[in-house]
Order: sequence, then structure tokens, then C-alpha cells
Amino acid sequence: MLEARLPQAALLKKIVEALKEMVNESNFDCGDSGISMQAMDSAHIAMCSLLLRSEGFEPYRCDRVISLGLSFSSLSKVLKCAGNDDVVTLKAEDDADTLGLMFESPKEERVSQFDLKLMDIDSDHVSIPDQEYDCTVHLSSAEFARICRDLSTFGASVVLDATKEGIKFSASGELGRGGILLKQQGSVDDSSPTSTRIEMREPVSVTLSLKYLNIFTKAAPLSEVVTINMSSEIPVLFQFSIGDIGHIRFYLAPQIQEDD
Amino acid sequence: MVEKRKAADNVSSTEAASKGSKLENKSSSSGAANGASKRIKAHGVQKGAVQSFFAPRKSSAKSDSKPKDEKPKVQIKTENPESSEIKPKPLDDDKDSQNGKIFENTDKKDKVHVATEQKAQKQSPQSSMDIEEDGGEEEKSATKGEGSNGIYIKPEPGIEKATTVKAESTIKNFPKVEIRAPVKPSIKDEKVAPPTPKKIINRASMLKREKSSFQEELEEMEARVPEAKAAKELWSRNPIPDFDPEKDPLIFQQMEIDEYVDISSNSLAVRLYGVTQNGNSVTCFVHGFYPYFYVPAPPQFDEDRIPELIKVLNAQIASENRARGERSAVVNITIVMKESIYGYHGGKKLPFFKIEMRGPSLISIGRSVFTEKGVDVPGVGHYVSQAFESNIEYTLRFMIDHKVVGANWVELPAGKYSKRLNTTSRAQIEVQVYHKDLISHDPATQEWSHVAPLRILSFDIECAGRKGIFPEPKVDPVIQIANMVTIHGSNKPFIRNIFTLNTCAPIIGSQILSYSTEQELLRGWKEFLLMVDPDIVIGYNTTNFDFPYLIERAEALGVNDFPYLGRLSHVKSVLKESRFSSKAYGTREDKVLNMEGRVQFDILQAMRRDYKLRSFSLNAVSAHFLGEQKEDVPHSIITDLQNGTDETRRRLAVYCLKDAYLPQRLADKLMLLVNYMEMARVTGVPFNYLLSRGQQIKVVSQLYRKAIEQDLVIPVMERGAAGGSDEQYEGATVIEPKRGFYNVPIATLDFASLYPSIMMAHNLCYTTLLTKQIAEQLKLVKEVDYEVTPAGDMFVKAERRKGLLPQVLQELLSARKKAKADMKKETDPFKVQVLNGRQLALKISANSVYGFTGATVGRLPCLQISASVTAYGREMIEATKKTVENHYCKANGYEHDAEVIYGDTDSVMVRFGTPILEESMKLGTEAAGFVSNIFVKPIKLEFEKVYFPYLLINKKRYAGLYWTRPEKYDKLDTKGLETVRRDNCPLVPTVVETCLRKMLIDNDVDGAVKYAKETIANLLQNKVDLSQLIITKQLSRTDYSNKQAHVELAERMRRRDAGSAPQLGDRVPYVIIKAARGTPAYERAEDPIYVLENNIPIDTHHYLSNQLTNPLQRIFEPILGNKIESLFAGDHTRSIQMNAPTKGGLMNFVVKTKTCLGCKTPLPKASQDQPVCKHCKPKLPQIYLRNKDTMNAFESQFAKLWTQCQRCQGSLHNDVICGNRDCPIFYMRKKVQKDCNEQAQVMERFDCSW
Repeated sequence: MLEARLPQAALLKKIVEALKEMVNESNFDCGDSGISMQAMDSAHIAMCSLLLRSEGFEPYRCDRVISLGLSFSSLSKVLKCAGNDDVVTLKAEDDADTLGLMFESPKEERVSQFDLKLMDIDSDHVSIPDQEYDCTVHLSSAEFARICRDLSTFGASVVLDATKEGIKFSASGELGRGGILLKQQGSVDDSSPTSTRIEMREPVSVTLSLKYLNIFTKAAPLSEVVTINMSSEIPVLFQFSIGDIGHIRFYLAPQIQEDD
Repeated sequence: MVEKRKAADNVSSTEAASKGSKLENKSSSSGAANGASKRIKAHGVQKGAVQSFFAPRKSSAKSDSKPKDEKPKVQIKTENPESSEIKPKPLDDDKDSQNGKIFENTDKKDKVHVATEQKAQKQSPQSSMDIEEDGGEEEKSATKGEGSNGIYIKPEPGIEKATTVKAESTIKNFPKVEIRAPVKPSIKDEKVAPPTPKKIINRASMLKREKSSFQEELEEMEARVPEAKAAKELWSRNPIPDFDPEKDPLIFQQMEIDEYVDISSNSLAVRLYGVTQNGNSVTCFVHGFYPYFYVPAPPQFDEDRIPELIKVLNAQIASENRARGERSAVVNITIVMKESIYGYHGGKKLPFFKIEMRGPSLISIGRSVFTEKGVDVPGVGHYVSQAFESNIEYTLRFMIDHKVVGANWVELPAGKYSKRLNTTSRAQIEVQVYHKDLISHDPATQEWSHVAPLRILSFDIECAGRKGIFPEPKVDPVIQIANMVTIHGSNKPFIRNIFTLNTCAPIIGSQILSYSTEQELLRGWKEFLLMVDPDIVIGYNTTNFDFPYLIERAEALGVNDFPYLGRLSHVKSVLKESRFSSKAYGTREDKVLNMEGRVQFDILQAMRRDYKLRSFSLNAVSAHFLGEQKEDVPHSIITDLQNGTDETRRRLAVYCLKDAYLPQRLADKLMLLVNYMEMARVTGVPFNYLLSRGQQIKVVSQLYRKAIEQDLVIPVMERGAAGGSDEQYEGATVIEPKRGFYNVPIATLDFASLYPSIMMAHNLCYTTLLTKQIAEQLKLVKEVDYEVTPAGDMFVKAERRKGLLPQVLQELLSARKKAKADMKKETDPFKVQVLNGRQLALKISANSVYGFTGATVGRLPCLQISASVTAYGREMIEATKKTVENHYCKANGYEHDAEVIYGDTDSVMVRFGTPILEESMKLGTEAAGFVSNIFVKPIKLEFEKVYFPYLLINKKRYAGLYWTRPEKYDKLDTKGLETVRRDNCPLVPTVVETCLRKMLIDNDVDGAVKYAKETIANLLQNKVDLSQLIITKQLSRTDYSNKQAHVELAERMRRRDAGSAPQLGDRVPYVIIKAARGTPAYERAEDPIYVLENNIPIDTHHYLSNQLTNPLQRIFEPILGNKIESLFAGDHTRSIQMNAPTKGGLMNFVVKTKTCLGCKTPLPKASQDQPVCKHCKPKLPQIYLRNKDTMNAFESQFAKLWTQCQRCQGSLHNDVICGNRDCPIFYMRKKVQKDCNEQAQVMERFDCSW
């Protein structure tokens, strides 16, 4: 039996909007520590993982671990029925075939109740182990979204070069070439949270698909800052924090010259 | 003969047999054998007839019983074949006839029975006993002092060894010598050493296990035809009977005709190649016939000045054609009274020059002199004119003028022909005759409808390619050539052999000829080909692969005497490229190899012409028509097999033999040769035109034949002269369908041979086409003298002049009627086949006449005719609809108002309103007769069938249960539905057909809906077999302007492995895989094998929405209406499976977290080795059992599939290597194998020691 109450429907809406572009359907694993979900895109180039800790809900109750198969498009449709400030309560019985969603307006004068049919999704449960990265870059998520959008005019892939000075995004194609450099700003302590900061052991250069990056940036509304963790030749991790209750992580495999 | 058979019987051990066959080719010649071999040949004539009546059991039974009772046995053997010859009986009777006739006492009879049973137990060793023996052996063995009658003789290891050594040494000799040599001595030695009975059994059981069905088949053949063993003597044709050209006529069936121009001696001849009834090959030179063409003679020309005209022409042609120095191109000019076929001119004949030229190549020069430059005709002046009949091939001209049709019998009367002294061909009989003495027999007559004992060679080669590269003749060796030779009309090949490079373990039922070098192999095969002297060479893709490869390989190896494969000893076989373009068959490029006197009949080409299949690979075609899969050895493994041991080469050889046998079986099963031969006879074109040319030439041939009878000449039309090739005319009409599901009988009324009968009824022809001017000039009266068609063209009526095309059609259709009538009377199944082929050929020919007149790029287009035909057709359909609806209505006292719900081209569908089947059939028959009366004869409306129920989806799309008798339906008939189309994956037709069956046959709409939903659910859960999802498209050219899935995939595959990538013209199989959103479909196509190997997820949603949705909507919409949406959404779509691939993208970096086997939640790190989470612990036993069941199911399924494949490949000891992409079992096996492995890993998680 799961019962989780989230004070702001807007948060759930943003999460679903951030992920539905990449994933059609997936299992949400609900346990006593919270709700998590991981899924790969259909081409298995990228993976996303969602974590919502139990502390973020008020209250949160989950007697035993259950897996809820949800279709993101259905979920998104249902959430359209909720106001941004509504309080959302998720409910599911053990072995249930529906997920109950209750939306209460802030003044509690309107209560809507929806049951969403669950899917039986048989898929591998995959995860990418945590690891040390050679380079970690923090930057404004809005800035990141803009860079990705701008560079996709030039090409299908972008090269990220991280050095002590800053991080450079460059792309080239039929149209010409483009490069955007974000410089490391001042000292670590006194800058604003959205200023660019780089922690690195050694410089890293990776090539990534812009198509995927533009999907990831759908999560920008969730968080002001995006953290990019990079090492050569392993998947790059993009993390968007969801307040202090959790995060969305995207992993993207670096591009290899011509796969065959 | 008696002795011969005796000797054969002595072979009673598998071992001996196998050694025997191994050594056959190595044996040295023995003079004594010659006599015996001759006898075999003589006997061989009847063999073809006999063999089919031979029970496989019989021969082996004989040999079995022998050890107990030698003498009678010997007798049995001797007599059996003869008795069965005299009195062919079905297999079961065989034994009895044998007993009754041959055995003097009953004891022996019993023994035979016993022996038969024994045989059943030890099948394989017995069949192996039938190793070829002849008198020669017999004598030889006697001299060696090894017991004469082959009774128990002590094994003599020493001798055996010696023979082997000898054989080894001979193999190095030039094979030519060996081939001539009779086979026997070595074998005999082997035979004489029988192993102990125990050994036989062991060996037998072993062999039994190893046999594939094909091998059994081979063995059976061997058993059936004990006399026709793999002896080289059998290769040759029957000896020529004595004949005297002065006294005996020479009659033969000609199979091929070519022209022969000898510039040096200025002689021109037509060569006919053929076979006599006795099976002797004939080459016949026909002299004295010159090609000619017609030019209208100027009216004022004086006939006496012809010699002058010849001189003028010769001079002019000589100047045109300076290089060739032709001084006397024109042989003769005569003035004949002819009429142009095109248009009606009141039937007036005009003078024409008939200009005979010295050679076929001069015709076009002669023509151009008249049509372009003009000629100074003596007494007339400069004269430019159109030419007639200058564009017909010389050989066809010859055939038309002498009434020779394709593959018919011709006779050279006694005293009119002579043997040629300096023979140039390899035919047994080479003669010459003056063209006017040649008699051609009409194959439509009973007497001349049969077929000569043609020799048909079916062969296949194997090459050892390098990894990843398609074999190239410059580099990669030819390693095996398998051959099957059949006499036309017999159903089993009498020669089965395989030429191998390096040794090969014996294969029962076929002869193995091993060579140590490729040069010898090629020479050996060429000698074989020349000795067998086949009339028809068949095979699969021989035209574009096997023959070119052999020729190019021989060239690369410097075997310069190889490419002389035809019947002319001095003519080299040369490869050429040809391009064939036809509206009906598309454009394709082929290689052409000349083999004078032999017809090359590539089954692949015939298949491509006659059938529309998803795949034309030999596997797919034989699975489709013969209902059996075959092992497909991947290219990459062939080389490994060849470089292995003689056992691995044997494996390859069995495979190769099967590839040689399948084309033969296909040809038999589909009666290709018979049908094509009948087509050649009916349309009068040479046999080889049928594969190399299009439809038009057949009509041309018939038209010329008819025209010559009526002194008509055919103009040469410039291409597109009839107004350009883009001219269109209105086609057939389609009555707007009243869509819906009809649960009442719908009667279908068809016009029989609509277009031909319209042409006949309204006398539409070139010769009756009337222009306004002519009509006025001749003062013709509308409706009396001529008719105006609905298309506005004018044609004179039959009373004025009967059209040529109507006559051709009438003959074709009445010949068809006759053939059908004969077919009913005929009892001989083979003749029934011939007649059936004939009536089909006649039908197709009749229908192609209309197309010929409408072919704007054709030889003689006449759109007035074709437009009028369709105009009449439209009118008639409308008239039929009106008549039926007006007559069958309540006003006329009928119970219901009839309604025409649909009509197309030549048929109308009528709902008479009655719910009773019989009633509607009665009304249908009545209506057909009633409506026929309003049309001109011979147009006839026929009642053919009733559809009940009937699902009318759209124009040209419908399905219904087809009834011709009220008792039982005939079949489920569908038109235009996905059941018959091939541009989708097999899942679609399967689902559509099953749904239709449920709806129409079982009347169970709910069942159909349920089935459709189930299929969708299975698809989404990835439970559908991969082979059901494969889409194939032909790779017809690479320069598609817009990207297409199969083209892109072919390109990608080429980059991966050039060797196995699809070639131009191949059909490319692919599946649609999942990819990032927005990826275009062409990038999502992937090779099914690659998908299987890498576990790539299939885009099941694509299949649902792009493949299944529309077809299902179409068939369910008339029934479900708005509820149709429920098919594609709902609970059944809510269970899905998502696979992760094993490689690519992110997969190299991820870790799979184990999930609980009970509730699918991920397990915490600490308990990753546990099968279930702590909540599911109580249910562990159930979960274990459920998984165990799954495991068992996978295992047993895999075991079944694996053995199935092992059976197919013919060995239960070896791994399956088959990679047959057309075989559903292959995909199933791969998939289950994968599932099995995965499930095994799951099982490991249970700690089974609990």
C-alpha cells in the first residue's frame, strides 16, 4: 500500500514533462525510502533516473516495495486536470492494477479523484553505478538549454571541452561552425548559484548528440542549475536537482565515430 | 543381364558399397566391360518408364534374401525389371506380380516377403547395395579368383588395400580417361568382401541415425532403379539405330533453332537441334532459305526489269556496307500480291516486292535503303517507301514460313536428306536437308503431341569464398558441382553425381567423382556434360551465377578447353550481358551464355516471371511449393567445410546435391517444362524465347502465321509511331461498390474471356479498321457495312471482312475448349498435364492479344482496337447491371429487388435478396443466360460462384466464402487484401486471414475480434516470432532519390560484411527496430539476423500502427463500425515487454539490477543473489515452479527445433550450422535459444539445493 502526498502538483507536472519526451512508459519503484524510476530511451543511447525521497512527501507511507507501470503520456493527461497549486496524493494498493491520484485545491473546496490503469511492463532493471568523474561543471540550466538549442542549428552533435578556464561547446555542419565558451566565474564562494563553476582533475573532451541534450533540457524548469559530470569515454551524467527531495539524472553515451 | 544383376546382388555390406562408390571414378578401364555396358545402355531405354513403378522395397528385398538362396534370387533380379516394364503396376501390386509371374515355387515367394521386412529394418545398408555392376566386373572378379556368383566370399583385406592404392594413383591421371572407363573392377573387389552380419547392423543403425530425409530420398532412388546405377556408361545416350537416309525418314523433336552464316562459303542455313523418339540427338542443317522483306512495288514498275533492280540494289547496298564487301546482297526479287494488315482498304491486293537477301544482317540495310535513302527503281525513278516485315528474326521467319512451332516434331522424309560428312556438332546424328523438304508436324494433333525423351540436367556449384567477400571467380575456387540428370517424363533422375575437389565420404545413392585439382574438376565436369549431352539445362540462378562463375573460373585457371559446352564442337561459349525490359516483368540485367543446341532454363527466372513471392531464394521457393525447408549453409562456413575432412566435405556435398535436385523437383511439381513447351507450341515461338523475351513476341508470331495465310503483310512501325508512348485510353470500368458485410448470398456473374470475345463479337482487328475517307470512298453504310464502337472508331463488319485477330482468337479459344475436353477424357496423368499446360497457354495467349494492340511501345500498336475493346467492356458491365436490376425486381414478380453491389472489368456481383444459397445459384444461372442474350455472340455471361457471406471493403478489395455447389464451400477467396500482398510482414496476412476465416467461415465475429486483440497483445509483449515481422523489399536499384529502408539497410550491411550483403535484384529482408524518437523509418530497418544476435528491441508500436492497424481496420470496419477503436486500445495493449539490447549505446556501461521474480521490484544490493524480495518469500515455491515450467517449456521447444534442424541438415551428430533466412524455424530456434539462456540464468538465482 502506497500513499504519498505531494504539496505541489506543479512539481509532479514538471517531472512528467521533463521525462515524457524521452520515455514512453516505465516502472516506478516505490519503497520505504521513496519513489524511483529508471528508464532508457528506445534507442538505448541515453538513460534517465528519477529519485524522489520519502522526506519530500507529507506524509509518505509505503508498506512494501511495489512497482507501478505507468505510461507517461497517460500520466501527463491526468496531471493536466490538476492545478499547479493543488495537493496531489498518490495511492496504490499492493498488487493493484490502478494508481489513484487525488487533487485537492489549496482551499480544499475542490477534490478530484482519478484512477489510472497501470501497465504490466516487463523490462530489465538497469542502473549506472555511481563513480568518480574527472570533471564536474555546474552551470545555469537555462543557459545550458539555450546553448543546446542554438548549437543544434549547426550540427547534430556538440563537442564539450572542459578546461580550467571554462567549458566550451562547439558544433559544426553544413551551415558553418559555432562555439560557445562559458568561463569559470570568480571564486567558488562568492558567486551566485547559477554561475559557472568547474571542479576538475584533468581536462575532458566529449562529443554528444544534440538531439538528446535537447531532450534533457526539458528538465531545466525543475532546477536552476545543471551539473555535468564527465570523464572520457564513459557516459556523461547530467543532474537536475528537484529541490532537496530528489533529482533527475540523465546519462548519455558519448558518440563514437560511425558505430559500425 | 542375368550375370550383371547377380553381381550386383553380391554387394551386401554398407562398407563395401561406400568404398565402391568412392572408387568408381578411379577405376581403370577394362575391355571386357564394354560389351556389358552396351547392354546396360540398351536396357536403359526402358529404364525411365520402369523406374517409377519400382517399389523401393523390391530391389533391396531381393538382395537381402540372396545369401540364403542364391539361385532363385538371381532370377528374380533379372526378371523383375522386365516384368514391371511389361505390366506396370502400382507399388503395392508389385510384389504380387513378381511372385505370381516369376517364382516357380512358393517357398521363394515367402522368402521375398521376409526379405522385405528385413529390409524395412535395415534400410540404409540395403539401398547401399545397389551399386552399379555389369558384366565387366563379373568377368574381372572371376579372373581374380574371388568366387564368381558373389556368394559368401572371405574378405581379403590385401586385395582391398591394393585396389585402393591403385585408385589413388589413377586419380591423378587425366580424368578424361577415367570417365570413358567402365566403373566396375574396383567396386567389385570391395563388394566381394562382405563384413560380418553384425557389422552390417551396427553400421546400419548408425547410418539410420544420420540420414536426412533428402538422403533417404537419394537412397530410395537408388533402390528404385537398381539398373541405373551411378555408372559412367549411363552418361551417354542410346546408340544410334542403323538408318538409311534413302529409306528411313528422320523424325525428331526440335528444341532449339539457330542460324548459321558461313561468310566464306557464302552459305546460309538454319540449324535445328533436337532429339528423336529413341533419344538420339540430332543436328539438322536446313539450306536454301533466305530472309526477306516486302516493299510495296510502284504501280508502274515493269516486272521484266527485276534483274536491273537487283543490280541497282546490290550496288547501293555495297556502297552502304563497304566494310563487309558484300557484292550480291540481294538473292532474288519477286513480285507478289499482298495487302497491308493495317486498316481496311476494300480487300484490294497490291503488288509488293519480296526481296530475299543473302543474310539476316543485310535485311536492315536493305530496309533502310528503301525507307531512308530511297532507291532508283528502273523505269520509275527515285522511290522511297515503307518496308514490311523486315523486323522479324530470321529464325522466327523460318519457323513461320515452314509452320514450325517451338518444340514440335519435324520430319525429314526418306531420300530427301543426307548425313553430313564433315560434322561440326557433337550430336549423334548430323544431317542436312533442303528447306522445302522439311515437314513440320502440328503438335495439336494427337499423334504429335508427345514429348521426346529429352535429357534434363539440373546442376549446382559450390565455391569456397573468403570471409566477408562474395566469391569471385578470379580468386575463389569451385569446389563442388552436383548433377542430376532426368529423362523427360520420368520422375527420378537416373544420374546423380557430384564432382568434388578433394576427397569426399561416400553418399549413398549418388556417385562421387573426386579430383585433386580444380582444373581437373572443371575438365571432368565438362566431359560429363558433353557425354550426358543434355537437351535442357536447368538449375537455380544458373544464368547469372553458376554458368558465369564456371566460365570465368576456367578462364582464371587457364582451362582453355572448358568453355565449349554447346553442341557445336568448335563454338566457344562466351558470356555476354543482356538487358531485358518489359512492362510486365520490369527491367533486369542478365548474363547470357551461348550453348548451341541446349536450352538453358533457369528455374529462378521462370519463378520470377510466373509467381510473386516474398523471397525468391531457393529455400523460400521450395518451402512455398514443395513444403519443405532446406539447410542453408552460410557462405562463410563453406570454406571451413571444404578444408575439413572428407566427412565435412560430404556434408557440403549432400547440401550441394540437394540444391541440384530441388530445381528438378520444382520443375516437376510446377510442370514448368511441360507448360512452357506447350506455350511454345501454341504461340509458335522457340522455347528459349519464353524466358528471354516478353509477351509481344508470342502475339507477333501468331499474327505473322495468320497473316501469311491471307496474303497480308505487316508494316514495320517506328517505336511510338502510334502517337507517342504516353497516349492513354480509358480502361475498364468499376461499378462503385456498396461497401459492407453481406450475410446473404452474393452471386457473381462473369464474362468468359471478356476481351477476346469482344474482339471476336465486334470484329475488331487491324484489317477491319476503317477510316472516314475509305468509308466514303467505298460508299460503306454504317451499321450495314461497318460499326462505330463506343470509343468512336469504325470497324467493318465480319460479313465484309473477317478480322485476323478474331480468327486468331477463335482458334485459340476453340483449341482451348478442345484441350479441356481432351483433358477430361484423358486417363494418362502425364498427358493430362500436357493438356492442362496447353489450355493454360492458350488462355494466356488469347488474353495477351488485347494487350498487344494497346502496347504503345510495341511492334504493332493500334489503340483504336484496345480503346474500343475497353469501351465495349464498360458498356457491357453497365448494361448487365441495368438488365439484372430491371428484370429481377418485385415488379416482375420476384420476391426481392436484385441489386448490383459491385462490378469490375468483367464481373458483376448481384444481391438477389434471397437468403438461400441454392436459390441465389439458381437465379444466378438464370440471369447469366438471360443477360447473355442481349449481347452479340460469342460474348457470354457465366454464372460462376456465390459469395456467402461477403465482405466488400472497397474497389478491388473484398473477401468472401466461395461457393460453386450448395453443399460445401470451395474456399475463402480474398481480393486485394493483405492476405495476398507481399509488401508487409507475414504477421499481417496471417492475422487478416485468420480473422476472415473466423468471420466468414465460422461466422464468429467476436472470435475474430478476440483473435486480433490477442495478436496485438502478443506483439506488444514481444511474443511474436521474429520471422513473422520480417518485411522484404526488392533492391532494384541503388539510386533511389528518396531514402528507403531496404536500400539504406543494404548499404549498412555492405559496410558490415560485403559478402552477405544483398545484391542488386535480391529481396532484402528487414525488421523495424526501436530508435530514438523522430528517427526516420529508413534508419530503423535492421537485418533480422543482426537483431537476433544482438537482442535489439523491435519497434512493436511501429508494427501495430503501421502494419496491423490499417488492414484490420479495413476488414473490421464494415462489421464493427465505430467500435473499431476498441481493437487498438484497451487492456490487451497494456501489457508490454521492453528488451534491452546486449550491445551498443549505453549498454556497455549499465548494470542490470536484479528484480524480484515475484513482484518485479528491484532487490536491494545486499540481497541481489536472492530470487525474490522479502515480501514474496512466502510465495517462493510457487514462483520457483512457475519459472521451472517456463524453463522446461523453453528447453523442450529448443530441443525440438534443434533436432528438426539437424534432421533437415541430415546429421544428428553435428552442430546445426544452417543460417537459412527464409526458414521460420531458424528464427524460432535462435529466439528460443536466447530465451533459454536467459531463463537458465534466472534459474540459477534459485538456490536449487534447498
